[in-house]
Amino acid sequence: MVEWTEHEPPEGKYQRLDADGQLDGDSPAFDDELLAMYRTMVATRTLEDKMLNMQRSGEASLVARSRGEEATPLGCAAALEPDDWIFYTYRQNPALLYWEYPMAEIVAGDMGAEPETVAEHLDTDEPEVNFSPDYTPVGVNTTNAVGMAMADKLNDHETVTMAFIGDGSTSEGSFHDAMNFAGVFEPPVVIICQNNQWAISEPSHRQTGAETFAKKGEAYGVPHERVDGNDIFAVREKAEEAVERARNGEGPTFIECVTYRMEEHNTSDNPDVYRDPNEQRDEWEEKDPLDRYETYLREEGVLNNDLAEEIEGEVNEQVSAAVDAARDVPDSGPERIFDHQIHGEPWNHAHQRAELEREQNGQNPFTDFDGEGFDE
Amino acid sequence: MSEVYPSPASERDTSDETENIDLVTAVNHTLHQEMARDDGVRIMGYDIGPIGGVYRATEGLLDEYGDERVIDTPLSENGIIGTAVGMAMAGERVVPEIQFMGFSYPAFGQIMYALVKMYDRTGGDIEVPLTVRMAYGGGVKALEYHQESTETYYLHTPGVRVVCPSTPYQAKGLLAASIRHDDPVIFMEPKKIYRGGEQSVPTDDYTLPLDEARLVREGEDVTVLTWGAMVRHAVAASEAVDASVEVVDIRSLSPLDVETILESVKKTGRCVVVHEARRSLGLGAELSALVNEYALDRLKAPVKRATGYDVHFPSHDIEDDYLPDEERAQHAIEAVMSYEF
Repeated sequence: MVEWTEHEPPEGKYQRLDADGQLDGDSPAFDDELLAMYRTMVATRTLEDKMLNMQRSGEASLVARSRGEEATPLGCAAALEPDDWIFYTYRQNPALLYWEYPMAEIVAGDMGAEPETVAEHLDTDEPEVNFSPDYTPVGVNTTNAVGMAMADKLNDHETVTMAFIGDGSTSEGSFHDAMNFAGVFEPPVVIICQNNQWAISEPSHRQTGAETFAKKGEAYGVPHERVDGNDIFAVREKAEEAVERARNGEGPTFIECVTYRMEEHNTSDNPDVYRDPNEQRDEWEEKDPLDRYETYLREEGVLNNDLAEEIEGEVNEQVSAAVDAARDVPDSGPERIFDHQIHGEPWNHAHQRAELEREQNGQNPFTDFDGEGFDE
Repeated sequence: MSEVYPSPASERDTSDETENIDLVTAVNHTLHQEMARDDGVRIMGYDIGPIGGVYRATEGLLDEYGDERVIDTPLSENGIIGTAVGMAMAGERVVPEIQFMGFSYPAFGQIMYALVKMYDRTGGDIEVPLTVRMAYGGGVKALEYHQESTETYYLHTPGVRVVCPSTPYQAKGLLAASIRHDDPVIFMEPKKIYRGGEQSVPTDDYTLPLDEARLVREGEDVTVLTWGAMVRHAVAASEAVDASVEVVDIRSLSPLDVETILESVKKTGRCVVVHEARRSLGLGAELSALVNEYALDRLKAPVKRATGYDVHFPSHDIEDDYLPDEERAQHAIEAVMSYEF
């Protein structure tokens, strides 16, 4: 059985909580947030499962779930402070939910509404941490995140920028450019590689010949860590160290969080074609970040059945409300196509907007023969 | 599934054994055939191996030809094109896959610096016979950058051919010709019609010319110039209007078959371009300029372009409003028919 798809044995990573939910070493410094983090994990699963159902019934377009990987985005994002920035991709819902990014906005976006329409129809508060728009093209966000951190350094701001990428993204040029600039300019940036070992069908050993992804920081002079990505305590601890270093002017950190993509890349993917569904499943189910964490919380007496049920009920209500709100967002007006292309309205946009309106009204949009409007 | 593509005589050859296949299957069968025919043909890209490509265009190839000819790569478009150029310089005939046209931008550097320039800068000594397959186009409710039709970037570039099939028959003949050609080719695959119906296609190999447009439908009153996923809309519109419409599938977007295009427009005196790319500086702009420069005295109406708008590809709920369809094509045809000098 192939246990690891990269080149390093499983023990080569930082861990605090073992697979049985036993914590090694001191209690964490964030005792007051233990339940909040648990709640975020439960909320992520509930929301993503609901969105999966919506995708199956044709309501949502495409869903990428973070099942089994929740500890990585959650632990990293929790290390930030208000006004910091997160540049994320498409498997970081726990980071968004931790900082109370409006759930309805996540759902509405997935239902395919234009951002202007969502903003107009959802009454949503800005989260305390800033989120870039999610990035679909892989690796691109890292370079932008480094740039933002460079600006913060130049302006003596104390904010920290965190970027999330997958293992596959470390193959793209943008990642290498970002790491190089980070090494040279030493801005307050933390780049998280959420190594779930699969980039759609490509296993992570197809992305690097290095022993670990963390070592990719070496060549660029960027300090690096390799962490058990399913261990919320280890992830958060290392992320906090990195964030603190960044805030103290000590520069960038690159953290590889080793986890596993339990499900499909997204709903248009069928992993059974390229990997044996049972090959690693049992093993990784044992390492499930939520189960491990829940065991710990129960043993510590922080969580019990009543509380777990209460949280589940609250989360279900929250997800239902978010879905209802998202469903109430109307379809965008077609003219939204022209919103926010550039400031002002150049001739081609004004003209094409008029054409589109005529088309919508069943009129012929091509009867302007002198460039001055339309002859009815 | 029945045959939904119009099959002119040129696409029927009863002497050959045929199979009913859709466009993506035609791509797949052609890759199988070309790899069997020529040991120098290798394919490169990510997700092209066990999974057979996200659209299954490369299904079965890894099993048949092994991982030295079906090379699953890291996620790096610039790496894929750059190394493919190097392999081509060593005499290989590589067919890289860029999963979506909107993913080709990281590779733009290698395309511009090396791929398209090598032949010229070595005075013809070094050929780079790559066929870069890219799925393009919208209408499938995909994510951002998965719906792009930005062929203009490559049409504006010397040193590379740009080819776009519109039927399974075209896909097979054009892809085989592209792979065998010694020029680099950007091979655009209209993913909207990957599984948009089957057509009877010869099982034996054949090629189609890379510098000829295809007359889809003859007419006397107006010429519609189009390609790829839009051909079907142009044909439907031409059947719906009260005019005799000639439909020309450009097929080879670069270089253009100027002779066929001008001959048709000079005959009909009217021209409409239907393309899904943004209008400004889309290929329609060049076609319109071409007609103006060389056929002005034959025109009975200005050239009109039924296209996408000059905007980023929109979100799902309004993508159908962005994309040209039969109705938009029909309006453009009716507009030029209504015009009087």
